[in-house]
Amino acid sequence: MDLLEVRSVSKTYGKGEAAVHALKQVSFSVPRGEFAAVVGESGSGKTTLLNMIGALDTPDSGKVMIDGRDIFSMNEDSRTVFRRRNIGFVFQSFNLIPELTVEQNIVFPVLLDYQKPDREYLEELLDVLHLKDRRRHLPGQLSGGQQQRAAIGRALMTRPMLILADEPTGNLDSQNTSEVMALLKEASRKYEQTIIMITHSRSIAQTADRIFQVSDGLVKDFGRCRV
Amino acid sequence: MRSYLDLIPISAKMHRRQNRMTILCIILSVFLVTAMFSMADMGMRMEQARLTDKHGTFSLGDVMNSAMGQTLFLTAAVLFVFVLAAGVLMISGSISSSVARRTKFFGMMRCIGMSQKQIKRLVRLEALNWCKSAVPSGIMLGTAAAWGLCAFLRFFVKEEFASIPLFGVSPIGIVSGAAVGICAVLLAAGSPARRASKVSAVAAVSGNDKSEPPFLRPFLLRFLKADTALGIHHAAAAGKNLVLMTGSFALSILLFFTFSVLIDFAGYLMPQSSQTSDIDITARETEAIDKELVEKIARLDGVKQVYGRRSDLDILAKRNGEKENIDMISFDEFELDCLKKDHLLKKGSDLSKVYGSSNYALAVWDRDSPWKTGDTIEVYGQRLKIAGLLKYDPFSSDGLTGGKLSLIVSGDTFMRLTKTTDYSLVMVQLERNAGDQTVKDVQKTAGPAYVCTDRREQSTAGTWFAFVSCVYGFLGIILLVTLLHIVNSISMSVSARQKQYGAMRAVGMDKRQMAKMIAAESFTYAVSGCIAGCAAGLFLGRGLYALLIESHFKYAAWSFPAGEMAFIILFVTAAAAAASWNASGQIRKMSVTKTLNDV
Repeated sequence: MDLLEVRSVSKTYGKGEAAVHALKQVSFSVPRGEFAAVVGESGSGKTTLLNMIGALDTPDSGKVMIDGRDIFSMNEDSRTVFRRRNIGFVFQSFNLIPELTVEQNIVFPVLLDYQKPDREYLEELLDVLHLKDRRRHLPGQLSGGQQQRAAIGRALMTRPMLILADEPTGNLDSQNTSEVMALLKEASRKYEQTIIMITHSRSIAQTADRIFQVSDGLVKDFGRCRV
Repeated sequence: MRSYLDLIPISAKMHRRQNRMTILCIILSVFLVTAMFSMADMGMRMEQARLTDKHGTFSLGDVMNSAMGQTLFLTAAVLFVFVLAAGVLMISGSISSSVARRTKFFGMMRCIGMSQKQIKRLVRLEALNWCKSAVPSGIMLGTAAAWGLCAFLRFFVKEEFASIPLFGVSPIGIVSGAAVGICAVLLAAGSPARRASKVSAVAAVSGNDKSEPPFLRPFLLRFLKADTALGIHHAAAAGKNLVLMTGSFALSILLFFTFSVLIDFAGYLMPQSSQTSDIDITARETEAIDKELVEKIARLDGVKQVYGRRSDLDILAKRNGEKENIDMISFDEFELDCLKKDHLLKKGSDLSKVYGSSNYALAVWDRDSPWKTGDTIEVYGQRLKIAGLLKYDPFSSDGLTGGKLSLIVSGDTFMRLTKTTDYSLVMVQLERNAGDQTVKDVQKTAGPAYVCTDRREQSTAGTWFAFVSCVYGFLGIILLVTLLHIVNSISMSVSARQKQYGAMRAVGMDKRQMAKMIAAESFTYAVSGCIAGCAAGLFLGRGLYALLIESHFKYAAWSFPAGEMAFIILFVTAAAAAASWNASGQIRKMSVTKTLNDV
């Protein structure tokens, strides 16, 4: 069964002559546990697409179904709760809370859900992320790669079904890039998570299970890369 | 970390410097209200004690019904509202700018699943968290200030305050102080919290929030240099912020004008004149007091000053050729001096002509009096010219002349005209340390033919002094808060634009131009605040003057408070200058590359 289903989603910014058709009747689906890369030029609509899937922005028309549920039929509050429990975000600029330590940053989404963090899972994550000896450090005391690993840990902590990553390696050097990529792939395999990642780099996209290309508001499915 | 709300104390610890001013604002609000209500409470207790002494029993109702009790609490209540308003304006400015600075943070919180309700709660609790330390400090400072004031009243002003409790702890003061702090913070946090909760999650992903900055109006650039134009634009473009800044400047100015009227009010309610006497001596039957008695009393220990008045009432005189009955009173030199010292003479009066044996007199005056300086009056066949006018009639209880002309002449002039040397009233001022013994000595010297009235009890000097020092103290604190607030607001506005300023430095704006830009922003706030504040302040001050003073003191005449206005404009200008100096210092220390790469 497909975890994510995007059905004829359209989005236009601005009006009249200034109107920009960011997405035009886009439809595609991604099965559970798949690692998909989204490529495209600047301004092609990649980020808009990701914002729609993550329920950060609302489409003008169309539907986005995650695990069989139409996220835009929910009201704002339940959508927030749904996002909190089922979608993890990884950003290009890490976006960690500067005042909190690595460990606190990772458990923060769980606390927002008024739950107790699963200590065992946390230890496991810290281990996988190679952050065990950095758990009490503040983000400012970490390298870019370490910060991004902490951000990935935060996205994984709630065990979401779907992880959305917007150029997660955009600010990293090649060494850290391959580490982060390996980590994301491991997560998708180990925890059966669906990952959708925007990237500029063709070579990074090649490592994904499937590639979507966005151009001029349209999405082309290049299908599965490897079997 | 057990809850997401634990972020608040952790974050507060990291941002201690940025929050310092906000906390100071809360401390000051709590301090003011605690001090005022504690003082009002102490005043009530003193009044209770007085009533118990007088009547043997008392009930709270008695005190509440007493004029003093009502005035005390009414004043305190009005001040409570003022302080609350000032606190809300200032604190909401701080919270707003802290929210604006963290748009991206709130966006990210929305991304990782914080609901709007949770964001609102976070912002509100963040603000309440400041109260944790600010409210107790404010209460302690306020109580200490009340103790200090009580001690001052009890040991220096004495008189009616001799029985005021010294180290009283006032539950009313503490509760109302805490209430003002918490209310101000909650009221102030409301709108920024709503704004924070509406930040779109996209703000975190795209790195900028969607709100587009308004265009720089081209006409500014046509008339001004780019740096000045940008500064004014920064101030004027952020609509709500400009309203907040103008509002808080204006409120301080408004309070200043209101308090100036209170000082005038105290002056009318308890006129303090240099010639107020401690003992009045009048003759029992003949209405004449021998001149020698004055000299004898003057030689007594503990007597500071003796002076008398002679009077000739209802005598026939001719003013501008028309007959009318007038009063003529003589003042000794000391009392004439006092007229000038107490500013009782109207503008254009020339007191110096009146001294000695002369042909000049002073006339009492009110708004309906037809006589003016320079008029001639014929008395006892001699012509006297009016050399000056008094602002009101000191011989009548309501200060109005009732159409009757009273002349004040020097002792020598009076004796020359009437050939009378005896006084009708002799007044004695005592040294500060003089006691009942001196009063007895005066009575003994005067002898049984004269009545000595001890007027020391009627002195209002203590109350007046206490009231005026409280008002001035309060005014001083208002000005201090204004100064702090202005400096803080400009500094926050600069921090919020740090990145933009870094970019400007990078493209070649020099430090002097940065300073000019910041000064232009500060002065835009100062000017709009001054205009709004002075307009509202004059209006309210005028209304208050009519309500408090003119309705009770018919002779009072409002005049444009030019001095006060000049003072407050100068003060605000100086504060704006200090604020831009401080903020420019902040910029000077800024490293261009670091600012660009950070955040």
